[in-house]
Amino acid sequence: MKAITLAINGKNISCPPGTSVLNAALENGIKVPTLCHHPHLEPVGACRLCLVEDEKTGRIMASCVTPVAHNMSIQTDSPVIKTHRANIIRLIMANHPESCIVCSQGNRCELRQIAAELGVGQTDLYPMPHYTGLEEANPFIIRDLSKCILCSKCIRADHELVVVGAIDYNLRGFKSRPATVHEMPLEKSSCTFCGTCVSMCPTGALSIENTRYVGSPQKESSTICGFCGVGCSLVMGSVDGQIVDVNPSHREKTVNLSTLCVRGHFAHDYLNASKRLSEPLIRKDGELSSATWDEALEVVAQGLISIKEKYGPQSVAFLGSSKCTIEENYLFQKIARVILGTNNVDNGSYGSGRAVINLISERLDGGGRITPLAGLEEAEVIFVIGADPTETAPVVGYYLKRASRIKKVPLIVADPRKTGLVPFSSLWLALSPNSDVELINGLAALLLKEKADDSSFIDRFTQGFDPYCDSLSGLDLEKVCRVTGVEMAVMEETADLLKGKKIAFVIGHGILQQKHGTSAMDALVNLALMTGSLGGDNKGFYLIARENNEAGALDMGAVPDFLPGRRPFYNNKDRKYWEKLWDVKLSPDPGLNLIRMIEEAEKGNLKALYIMGENPLLSLPQPERIRNALNDLELLVVQDILTTETTHTAHVVLAGAAFSEKAGTFTNMEGRIQSFEPVVSPPGDARPDWEILDLLSRRMSHADGYASIQKIRAEISRRIPMYSEFGKLGDESWIRETSNLRLFHPYEEGESISFSPVISVDNEAFDKAYPFTAILGSLRCHLGSGTRTSLSDRIKDFGLKGEVEIFSEDGTRLSLKVGDKVRISSPNGSIEREVTLKKDLRSDDARQLMGLTQLGETDSPGWNGCHVKIQKI
Amino acid sequence: MTQPKEIDWGLMEATINKHRGETWALIPLLQEIQAVFGYIPPDSIEPISEALHLFPSQVQGVVSFYAGLSLKPKGKYVVRVCRGTACHVKGGQSILRVIKKELGLDEGETSPDYQFTLETVACLGACFLAPTMMVNSTYFGKLSPPKVTSVLNQYGKDKGEDE
Ligand code: SF4
Ligand code: SF4
Ligand code: SF4
Ligand code: FES
Ligand code: FES
Repeated sequence: MKAITLAINGKNISCPPGTSVLNAALENGIKVPTLCHHPHLEPVGACRLCLVEDEKTGRIMASCVTPVAHNMSIQTDSPVIKTHRANIIRLIMANHPESCIVCSQGNRCELRQIAAELGVGQTDLYPMPHYTGLEEANPFIIRDLSKCILCSKCIRADHELVVVGAIDYNLRGFKSRPATVHEMPLEKSSCTFCGTCVSMCPTGALSIENTRYVGSPQKESSTICGFCGVGCSLVMGSVDGQIVDVNPSHREKTVNLSTLCVRGHFAHDYLNASKRLSEPLIRKDGELSSATWDEALEVVAQGLISIKEKYGPQSVAFLGSSKCTIEENYLFQKIARVILGTNNVDNGSYGSGRAVINLISERLDGGGRITPLAGLEEAEVIFVIGADPTETAPVVGYYLKRASRIKKVPLIVADPRKTGLVPFSSLWLALSPNSDVELINGLAALLLKEKADDSSFIDRFTQGFDPYCDSLSGLDLEKVCRVTGVEMAVMEETADLLKGKKIAFVIGHGILQQKHGTSAMDALVNLALMTGSLGGDNKGFYLIARENNEAGALDMGAVPDFLPGRRPFYNNKDRKYWEKLWDVKLSPDPGLNLIRMIEEAEKGNLKALYIMGENPLLSLPQPERIRNALNDLELLVVQDILTTETTHTAHVVLAGAAFSEKAGTFTNMEGRIQSFEPVVSPPGDARPDWEILDLLSRRMSHADGYASIQKIRAEISRRIPMYSEFGKLGDESWIRETSNLRLFHPYEEGESISFSPVISVDNEAFDKAYPFTAILGSLRCHLGSGTRTSLSDRIKDFGLKGEVEIFSEDGTRLSLKVGDKVRISSPNGSIEREVTLKKDLRSDDARQLMGLTQLGETDSPGWNGCHVKIQKI
Repeated sequence: MTQPKEIDWGLMEATINKHRGETWALIPLLQEIQAVFGYIPPDSIEPISEALHLFPSQVQGVVSFYAGLSLKPKGKYVVRVCRGTACHVKGGQSILRVIKKELGLDEGETSPDYQFTLETVACLGACFLAPTMMVNSTYFGKLSPPKVTSVLNQYGKDKGEDE
């Protein structure tokens, strides 16, 4: 299309048709005051502050909603315009209450800023404030709508960005205000307390409930959210070294745009919790008591070295954390492999589906990992399976809801529970728990019958399609319907929606933690290959990561079976590569994973365990068993930021720093590598974890160490091809595709991907004693086991109990009422919880929090979908 | 009748279902509900929004924006008194005063027996008949206090007899 040429303030400008006059001006460095405009929201032209004048016609128009036209001659600051603008501000101010002095928006208020810029002081108008009640019953958001200037940014953010729809204008004219349905308080509405509207509000009408501080922070610094694997960019405001508020970053191309979720926005107050560790501790006479860093590190170094010498390298293990940075994870595994000579290194994300992730890594040779979430909005069709992103990774939920509601992308949700996405879906497949394998194979068989396979893709990139077809055509579709509980008509409808399209799969913990997870993933890879849904944009596998650096910790090799760069340990070539770089002979013994570490400790084979940033006593099932195992150790070192169940059992406690108190880097679920600098200093004598690891390795190995984080980063980007772009372009870069498969190469060289055999899983016999299936759910307010989020004052005030959801008919059968207490038991233990009854569950499903399932004997995930019985107590 | 009609939720569902999936049809659907039920029952907001793929807050926003739609049940007879300029000049104020007194209602109120609702309107568009009022869809013009009383009596007499 032909560019439009016009003049703004005498400057000749050319821009694409459809550009608004406002954007044309802003892009050319011409400032125009606005109150209702935001680059991430649809323009509405509500405030009229962006008025400009076309000199040729004398027309005055709101520039944010006027598209450019040929030969316009725009003045943004003519005397007429200035008068109009000042009058608009005077009118808004006459409608405003006189509470500026006590308003926590302080000098961040855009109304005050603009009034000051335009030189509007006293309005000389009759003041007509519209007093409304103040609402502050929830611990997150205060609404004082008398300060509302009706810009509708909050409403548009709520509808267009987070797609919740909790608020809209109610009533008309002078009475009109953003309101919930039936004017209920926010906590009685569908509001998720993401706080996105609060950050958008130009005035103090919406503000953050802050018990510690009122007013604007002294300093604002950018960082990355410390919770889930989305890795939202945010700015933290601090006062005297304490973090007082959090907002989405103002940068344009972040993963979260202008949104956050309740955790990112409101739960970071846990960082100020009194349980923070501020100095190293050593156990003396049975008690943990303060020590200097020198003393503590000496005990750790001596202890590890002497245990290694006495019992051999296999007697020492390292359990790191996917909450720690990539620099720390790299150092951590290097200490284990190079200094202690063991592959016994793992991290806490083991339970979030390691076996499934390893399976994809191996089948795709590490390829297809670059998955920008923005691709979901451009996808042809989305298939969400075993994922509840509106709770686990809310920003992923926003992308999916936007894709469906705004971009009209067909969305299929396969989940036994009616998740928050179901109302936005085109189809909901309410399958029986653990029957995903059958469902996926069944859909593949139907697509094959319809000849919906992408044959040119299959020919170019894959092998083994024929045997795959053979076994698919032998599939008994009636049995599939019986096992999954999904009717044939619905299966066919799904196949129809998928037919001929490239699929974007969103995969969550319903698959990652399921006992048949690896088989389900195998089936999904086959389906993706058959439909040509891999390699390229807007399709493929979007894997939900629970912790913010889950992907990064794996990339750094903080796991027993992969070396840095996700290179399999059993691969000789990769082992040689690292042996040469590190100048060591790597132990040929396969290392212990998290579960095997506990088992070896129980057997007395493991003597020393170094835990960094994990709380296995809370995060793993069977806490008593873990406690006994840990008690048997000769040396337990725990490096953490909080006093936890686990630090209480340690011999040495090392006080680390939270992400906001150190420099570091996280890699998110998309493959985006994001570095950050400290916002505040660590409490007391606590230190950044990479510094602790560096000091320790120097004590143990007489090596030079790194001394600066830049040096660690340089080594990572030089040595790990996947991270070769890391740090090249400032704070944000992407991992590089390093797969050897033809599919992921621009010139189509390399190997082809194989279809794997169709497996049908045996859904084990129904056990009368344990008739219910427990599905592990998540709550939006908490992350994982909740070690950190439950220390947030705001989250505590919100008072969530983690109830068990039971299908209402089952509830009636067991004579349960909402609020009754039940004991839920599996053969491995029991927990007690309150009950809520739900209509939208399949019969025989109960949802619970972690704490019941047995530790996996082998590498099987199997933490989800265990069988339980329910008793009223 | 001393109660607004019990809502026939089956009928409501059928009415809503006619427009399932038709996001554009919000206003026609609301008008239909208003016509059939006399108002938009607040509990219908949820099913309406679900059927039309809208947010409940959006539906409420539309209902509360238009004077022709109401979330409260109205009386059998809705009396609309004009407050426009022409009617004002011709003594519309005292007409309103008389009606308020006769019905014992203030603007926007409905009698406890759901017989009358009193509303005011900016202009009924019949200025040549000023001062004016409407009862449901019937116009009354060139009003005087005695005429008002007789009109109201006409409707008052109906009390108790249905339709
Ligand atoms: S906090 Fe989030 S969900 Fe709640 S009204 Fe604001 S934008 Fe909507
Ligand atoms: S509450 Fe704030 S963001 Fe919402 S309309 Fe009012 S001023 Fe705008
Ligand atoms: S918890 Fe996840 S979705 Fe929420 S703000 Fe943090 S990174 Fe974003
Ligand atoms: S910014 Fe254009 S009308 Fe508000
Ligand atoms: S002013 Fe009363 S009908 Fe127009």
